[in-house]
Amino acid sequence: MLNVYTPDNEKYNNIDKSKFVLVQAEKEIHDAKFETKAVGFFKDAAMRFIRSKISVVALIGILFILFLAIFGPGMNEYGYNDQNLDYINLPPKIPVLAEYGIFDGGRVLQNRRVDGLDDTSRYPEGCILRVFNEREVKGVKMCDIEVDYYKYAGIPEDVVFWFGSDYLGRDLWTRMWRGARVSLFIAFISVFVNVFIGIVYGAVAGYYGGKTDMIMMRITEIINAMPQLVVVTLFILFFGTGILSIILALVVQNWIGTARMIRAQFYRFKGSEYVLASRTLGVKDRVLIFRHILPNSIGPIITRAMMAIPGAIFTESFLAYIGLGIRAPESSIGVLLSQGQKVMQQYPNQVLFPAIMISILMISFNMLSNGLRDAFDPTQRGA
Amino acid sequence: MLKYVFERVLAMLVTLAIIVTMGFMVIRLMPGSMFEGNPDMSPEQLAALEAKYHLDKPLLVQYGYFLRDAFTKGDWGTSLKLYPNVPVWEILQTRIPISMYINVYSLLISLPIGVILGIVAAIKKNTWVDYTVSFLVVICISVPSFVFATLMQYFFAFKMEAFPIIYEPTAVGMAKLYSLALPIMALALSPIARVARYLRAELAETINSDFMLLAKTKGLTERQATINHGIRNSLLPLMNIIVPMFTNILGGSLVIETIFAIPGMGGMMVNSINAPDYEVTLAILIFYSIISLSTILLVDISYGIIDPRIRMGGKK
Repeated sequence: MLNVYTPDNEKYNNIDKSKFVLVQAEKEIHDAKFETKAVGFFKDAAMRFIRSKISVVALIGILFILFLAIFGPGMNEYGYNDQNLDYINLPPKIPVLAEYGIFDGGRVLQNRRVDGLDDTSRYPEGCILRVFNEREVKGVKMCDIEVDYYKYAGIPEDVVFWFGSDYLGRDLWTRMWRGARVSLFIAFISVFVNVFIGIVYGAVAGYYGGKTDMIMMRITEIINAMPQLVVVTLFILFFGTGILSIILALVVQNWIGTARMIRAQFYRFKGSEYVLASRTLGVKDRVLIFRHILPNSIGPIITRAMMAIPGAIFTESFLAYIGLGIRAPESSIGVLLSQGQKVMQQYPNQVLFPAIMISILMISFNMLSNGLRDAFDPTQRGA
Repeated sequence: MLKYVFERVLAMLVTLAIIVTMGFMVIRLMPGSMFEGNPDMSPEQLAALEAKYHLDKPLLVQYGYFLRDAFTKGDWGTSLKLYPNVPVWEILQTRIPISMYINVYSLLISLPIGVILGIVAAIKKNTWVDYTVSFLVVICISVPSFVFATLMQYFFAFKMEAFPIIYEPTAVGMAKLYSLALPIMALALSPIARVARYLRAELAETINSDFMLLAKTKGLTERQATINHGIRNSLLPLMNIIVPMFTNILGGSLVIETIFAIPGMGGMMVNSINAPDYEVTLAILIFYSIISLSTILLVDISYGIIDPRIRMGGKK
């Protein structure tokens, strides 16, 4: 039951009159202030972003790979180009995990004679992990064995390659994270340059409109008409392989998308009243463009940049495959993949780890950009 | 319409001319001569060879010779390193069919699968079916085709021995298709995902539109309305992504072909860049430009045919 005051409610008849106080005898009357804090644009987006679990997982995945790309190469004593021809093509071995049967440096050797397994000169003590597939061939007992290749090859106890080593005895752990670093560096820088050029170009075209816009858009159409594959190839043939020319090759065409988007945003906002108001107040074009209109498109810009990063990583590894990638001793995801692919049948670890890493990276970036798009612009959800 | 098509073809030819010119200049301006570093050659022989291929003339004259040969004789130059003395055009003729084979097949198998997945996801929107399809779509779009190809080659071909590891050049008919199954599948995954995603978005929107409601009020069942009105209307815009997708597959097949040792355009492009044999590289680049430009043209023209509401070339 609600305790509402009514004149005939006996419960309230005997209340002492002195207990009553006038609420607003001397106070000013005004609206109540908001108790809660105002939610800004970014906080609003962040709240929506955190609510989608997939995006958060993707973000964690990216941060994890970023962390390893920055600190991974320094985690062991090998440099990315330390060659040691005594330790070539070793399987992965991580001392702590080796006891559980994974990353134990194991490699399968086929068609061994069973009676030869006790020969410690060929199989040093404790190197045989597993004997399986025993069979008899022409009266001789044969079997396949899995050996701890490090002990089998007589490599000192303290030499361990976490992800194995490649055909020059370089540590793949170091090379892989170094490669991730190079690939991410290329991706981030090229996307940054793309977005920067795109913003300035699109803003000028969209803001001034008319003939300026017409000419600027025709230029983008001409650049865009050329097939990307051809442009990138010619570009790298001309400037030579190297990080800088790959970054530039990634920029040549990719800024156009951003420029078009920014231009559309400017067409949307430049007619609004607040722009007219600031122009009446004498605000300069430059300030209008960058302070008043551009911030409206910050959400789409961030989303777009995030979407462009996996594309850049893809193109970089694609170039490595067709022989236009990073120069020799330097490592990148694409270089590792194309090198590992050649020896895949003998040493699958050399291609599997980079493949898994690039897959996680690409999926995470795509998920993240989907999440960001939904967070910044909820009307587009699920599109 | 005819005027519009004419304009577009003209624009395409201009772009192609720019690409050919740029490609030619870039490749001829590369440092070093194609015959350099051959110890068996005397300076006189070198000079004679350079004179034969007009390499001793100024760049613009060389370009003139190139254009003249290309247009009057259909001669796109001669391979000098990879296949000495074989005309580039002949090499292309042996290489193009096999590339087209895997590209067309992967497009052919990706369309029905993608369409079915997209329709199922849209009809069962926000159920586990939809979530599963969307999850697969994200994976197939994100992971590069050459990673898929490598993994498939390792697990399906090497470990399970279900498919041949590399292409068998002698196979014909079904055996050829079988030996190319893995590359075709690897190339098809991304288009499948793209078609499915596009169709899902398109159909989900169509299902909620007014004419679908009208169809149901007239007494059509959910199924009839979806099949006769929904799907038909959402399939049309699909045309816009299929044609550009072909260019994408073509680019992806460059790498896939090297992975599976398929003697197509991809392998030749990689080899010609590494050799280096720039005449061949240039011819391949021109080939890719022609394909990609004609697909863009096809899309632009097909807009007007597929959806007459879009007036092509109109000013306002």
